[in-house]
Amino acid sequence: MKYFEDFTPGDEMTFPPRSVTEEEIIAFAKDFDPQPFHIDREAASRTPYGGIIASGWHTMGMMMRLMVDHVLRDAASMGSPGIDELRWLKPVRPGDVLTLKARTLEAVPSKSRPDRGMVTSEHTFYNQHGEAVAFMRGKTIYGRRPAEA
Amino acid sequence: MQYFEDIELNKPRETGSYTLSEAEIIRYAKQFDPQYFHIDPEAAKQSQFGGLIASGWHTAATVMRLMVDAAIDMEASLGSPGLKDLQWLKPVRPGDTLRARITCLEKTASKSRPEIGSAVFLVEAFNQKDELVMRMTNTGIMLRRQPGRI
Repeated sequence: MKYFEDFTPGDEMTFPPRSVTEEEIIAFAKDFDPQPFHIDREAASRTPYGGIIASGWHTMGMMMRLMVDHVLRDAASMGSPGIDELRWLKPVRPGDVLTLKARTLEAVPSKSRPDRGMVTSEHTFYNQHGEAVAFMRGKTIYGRRPAEA
Repeated sequence: MQYFEDIELNKPRETGSYTLSEAEIIRYAKQFDPQYFHIDPEAAKQSQFGGLIASGWHTAATVMRLMVDAAIDMEASLGSPGLKDLQWLKPVRPGDTLRARITCLEKTASKSRPEIGSAVFLVEAFNQKDELVMRMTNTGIMLRRQPGRI
């Protein structure tokens, strides 16, 4: 179990690659972001994107899933107050393979609640060409390691 | 169709509303944010939230859907390069009804690409008690009605 004390500024992590399919792009977008360039090949081909691209919110969902599977599931996560900055840098297309890299920037104990602290980290998705496609800098609250009995 | 030139500054526009069910909260979270307080109602009772809450990303995605449905500045939209200061201010629980208010804060015609402009939107999401649950400042890229005219 990873606690607040286990996050050190400068720590870096690379996650396993994640392939993106056209089917899942369209399924997500039909629910949450049904703009033509996310759901319709023909309409998408007439936009500057030239073809279907993933909703930026889908990209963040894929990022979050990786973070939960590889870090948060075994950590004393208490959720997040938010994201400072999020950038969608390049389109994510069907068939892309995304690799997530994370870096811890800051770890600040809570002044008001001694049982927790806030970790600021950056996460960047790279595609198979090594291009950064999405970036976010945000905060997660972690519980502190319980005192030894 | 509403183009870049048609967007009015500092004039709030409202979306419709959507009620999140427990099943939907769990379904989204199992796929994109499977932390226990988003997928296990029993275990979530023991959390600081006192019960199941929606993933903040699910709240944001729901707000996106509300914006597209309301066609708020969407028809001429070419997507977004990003956002700042996304804040999850209050938990969103099963049965909560979300609605959003969008206000354009600034518009800038592109110097390099005369057919588009960018606009900065304050997006505020409220629940059925009119409590602010989420806020973010998004940038959108829009087609211009008259390319190149300042």
